[in-house]
Amino acid sequence: MRARATRPGHGAGSDEVTAVTFGPAADRRNAADRAHRGDLEGALGVISAFDTGPRRGAGRRLAALTAVLGPGLVVMAADNDAGGISTYAQAGQDYGVRIAWLVALLVPVLFVCQEMAARLGAVTGAGHARLITARFGRRWGGFALADLLALNLLTLVTEFVGVSLSLGYFGISRLVSVPVAAAFLIAVTVPGSFRGWERAMYVLIAASLAAVPLAAIAWAHRGPAAAGAATATATAHGGAVLLAVALVGTTVAPWQLFFQQSNVVDKRITTRFLGYERADTALGTVLFAVGALGVLLACAFALGPAGLHGAFTDAATTARGLRTQAGGAAGALFAIVLGAGSVLGASAVTLATSYAVGDYFGLRHSLHRRWREARTFHRTYAACVLAAAAVVLIPQVPLGLLTTAVQALAGILLPSATVFLLLLCNDREVLGPLVNPRWLNVLAATVIGALLGLSALLTATTIVPRLPLTPAVTGLEVAIAVLAAGATLIAIRARPAPAPAPADRRTWTMPPIESLRPPARSPWRTLGLVVLRCYLLAAIIALAVRAIQLALGAG
Amino acid sequence: MSVPPAGTAGPSLIGEDAANLIADAMFALSAPSRVQILGCLVDGPLAVGEITALLGMEQSAVSHQLRVLREADLVRVERDGKRRVYALSGDAVGELLTAAWHLAGQGEPAQGQPASSRRRKAAGGAEG
Repeated sequence: MRARATRPGHGAGSDEVTAVTFGPAADRRNAADRAHRGDLEGALGVISAFDTGPRRGAGRRLAALTAVLGPGLVVMAADNDAGGISTYAQAGQDYGVRIAWLVALLVPVLFVCQEMAARLGAVTGAGHARLITARFGRRWGGFALADLLALNLLTLVTEFVGVSLSLGYFGISRLVSVPVAAAFLIAVTVPGSFRGWERAMYVLIAASLAAVPLAAIAWAHRGPAAAGAATATATAHGGAVLLAVALVGTTVAPWQLFFQQSNVVDKRITTRFLGYERADTALGTVLFAVGALGVLLACAFALGPAGLHGAFTDAATTARGLRTQAGGAAGALFAIVLGAGSVLGASAVTLATSYAVGDYFGLRHSLHRRWREARTFHRTYAACVLAAAAVVLIPQVPLGLLTTAVQALAGILLPSATVFLLLLCNDREVLGPLVNPRWLNVLAATVIGALLGLSALLTATTIVPRLPLTPAVTGLEVAIAVLAAGATLIAIRARPAPAPAPADRRTWTMPPIESLRPPARSPWRTLGLVVLRCYLLAAIIALAVRAIQLALGAG
Repeated sequence: MSVPPAGTAGPSLIGEDAANLIADAMFALSAPSRVQILGCLVDGPLAVGEITALLGMEQSAVSHQLRVLREADLVRVERDGKRRVYALSGDAVGELLTAAWHLAGQGEPAQGQPASSRRRKAAGGAEG
């Protein structure tokens, strides 16, 4: 009569009850919120929870893909947010087309990081904050959450600055545009409809594609000396390095990991849709590259030849410059790209916060839930939005300094976030047969090493603004990067494990999180984490001191 | 809550909102550790430390699960002098646990049973 799910490999015993083994995905899947179970409801399609058959034929595969699409597209489009667009515009204007290779280099980095986060979400059904807490303890989970909350709130302020600059181009006062944007952000989440929220995000993604005609118009208006002008300017080498750091800092940010993992969980994407979710992430990466290159090239074509190298001030000036050099359409398109990206970024950043809070404290957290069904989730979201909007409306707040500080802080905190990501992706209790393959670990460790090196460089230049980039300094950075990559590889060295059956890889899911075997204690790993934490603290203090110095000097 | 007898009421009798609330309460019961924590509270309120000692779970895990139970309104916090103690939020929760116990085919509820079955599971034996 009674059917009981058993974990594979844990024999059901020989009692009189017939033990029926469900697919592990059916009932023993970890879930922090009941709303994380059920039909997969995407903006463009629905997959019923009972529809577990294989997807045969191109038509059915395409239908599944359109339903799953979303988390990857949103996170990558939101990556081209206020900070991102300003940085690409500055890069294009100051350094011309030749800096475009840096964006091309960021594409694989972005994909590797986001694929790992999405895989953790689909396989475990748990958010990033919960996984860190469960596998590393409450202290590390608390640190990760605190870092995220502080950084996200500051990032959210920059998104509202982006909104005010964007709509300011069309002559709308920030006293109108910022409250309207805040009301919109709250209005798309409060009804408790995941599909409604995702559809609103798709509209914004469509608007952000205005970067393509923008680049085309700028190309048509490019000056005669477009090719040679950029190289003619003798720009300081150090400036380029700093811009590279800023570009990396705004492109690969901690909130993206937290957001995509939780959004995959909330969208009810499970292991069997992992392939589709990878395609979603890959398509999103294309979206990122199109948006970033569109803005960068447009500014390189239109503003570079006009002798505006090094003249970048803010996104509003860029929009006006584009209007002067390439016509009103170009200015308007740039403002639209900036506005859409800022609102997308604001939504994703705020959701990353409220998902993480619910996740960490074990409270309900889902876009499927209405206000009164998940009060803490919605209150956190609304409070963040209103607080950030209020900061932007206060006159005298040094918003430019704040934007720069946020990028620096994101750059400093990113390596620690990716270290946890990589450790979780090598935890067999968490990902079972879906842990990282060795080549991916090597690649990811290299990326982390490079990020830590850049982060250290950023910290150094924050403390000593006129730091000369002598070979000694550069060598030190490279040494830090290599050391970090090596230490990471040692920390995650995977014990040899039996090759999993292919069927297992298609359906394996993490059992309820409290039933996992505790991780093996490794003093070296703890030491590494402590060292990393101390470095972060020192870097953050240095950054805060520098920011206060600048604020006092300016005021 | 009284369940309507079969045939006399249509499925519309339990509205969507009520069904959601019930499903949320049942979700809170869907983890063995949370069932065990509720079991500890049947005989009276306990502090987190006492539950931890009874079940042999980590304190952070107990606190986490208590928060889930609180959100589903199955458990509430009370002040007992300076102590914070947790109690079942009403008689209905105890009745629900007893009903669930019988539904799962167990005999008469006995003291300490949940904890011992947990130990069996940890040792790799049969679940339940």
